[in-house]
Amino acid sequence: MKWFIDNMFGYWILLLAISCGLSAICYEYFLRALMK
Amino acid sequence: MFDFTVAGHVVPVFLLVLTGFTVGIVGGFIGVGGGYMVTPALIVFGFPGYMASGTDACHIAGKAVISSIRHRQLGNIDWVIALSMVGGTMLGVELGVRLLNYTKAIGLSGVVLLAASVAVMLGLFIYTQVETQKSHKKMDEDSKAGREIGRDVKVSKIPLFFQSIPIRPFIKAGKARLVISMWVIVIVGVITGVLAGFLGVGGGFIRVPALVYVVGTTSHLAVGTDLVEIVVSGGYGALRQSMSGNVDFMAVFFMIIGAMLGAQFGSLATSFVRGPAIRYILSYSLILATVGAAMRLVYVLTGGTVEWLSFVAVVFTLGEMIFLCLFIISLVWFSIRHQHGKTVPPWVPPLVVKA
Repeated sequence: MKWFIDNMFGYWILLLAISCGLSAICYEYFLRALMK
Repeated sequence: MFDFTVAGHVVPVFLLVLTGFTVGIVGGFIGVGGGYMVTPALIVFGFPGYMASGTDACHIAGKAVISSIRHRQLGNIDWVIALSMVGGTMLGVELGVRLLNYTKAIGLSGVVLLAASVAVMLGLFIYTQVETQKSHKKMDEDSKAGREIGRDVKVSKIPLFFQSIPIRPFIKAGKARLVISMWVIVIVGVITGVLAGFLGVGGGFIRVPALVYVVGTTSHLAVGTDLVEIVVSGGYGALRQSMSGNVDFMAVFFMIIGAMLGAQFGSLATSFVRGPAIRYILSYSLILATVGAAMRLVYVLTGGTVEWLSFVAVVFTLGEMIFLCLFIISLVWFSIRHQHGKTVPPWVPPLVVKA
């Protein structure tokens, strides 16, 4: 975990993973029905 | 929950406000309109393509006004460069649109456009990322050696070449502290305008690197000056789209509510960081947009048969907005911690303003 904070590339990966997770939740709860 | 209908689709209002807010932060921070993020997002929300494009253009114009006002207060606009460039930009956009129509007329498909977008954005990403990493390293070394670091550090020598071109008339940009041939500014406006018009985007992600690496302004000035360009070009685009009936004003209203807060925060956030931090976020935005466009390219090339690719593209489209937003917010947070003498990650100090 320390590498993800102390390294800029690691931080980049960490934030991207969190963001994609949040957007997947958003898609699952709010957008799946709209996409059909 | 309060939702409303656009072209037969129920659109969740909070998603529109959230989109306006996140893209407002990103746009205010790196000086782009964010059309390459918002239009795909609106299509995901169920907007028809033409309506997504028109609504996006209208929202960008409104958001750029808010950001420009804030950047003007922060002293981040060079009006001489902005006004010299705006004519070239408009001419370039018109030429780009005509070039686009011509390529369509001779039968070149959307695949070529997507491939061109990927190539331009990838090239800009690589140059911006490499230059910014070198600047970051230089600032780190200066910091460790006890030397004072300026608000912006660049290692690129390209601006010196363009500033030495001896073609009259010259303009003296007081805020940017440079003297340059007006033709350089106009031609930069035309070329970035052509690319913007041809690729169907606002062009901020092309103009900001051009202002930094060709004209030679600081990153902060490039952001503020480019937003003035977006007010003009986005305003024109919004007018054209409104006259064509491609704008859903209720959607624009809710997106502007989010953008009012986001654009203010994004613009103010620039005062917490040094130039390379802005260029880092710009390059991240470029690579994420490149990956998104590459996914759409693969989806088109495979004839839309790969189901999971569609899901990944949707998650990525929304994810990139959240990612950029979180990165900017965390930089501000790290800057405040650093100012109060608290621990921050080792890569942060050269990127943020100490006092």
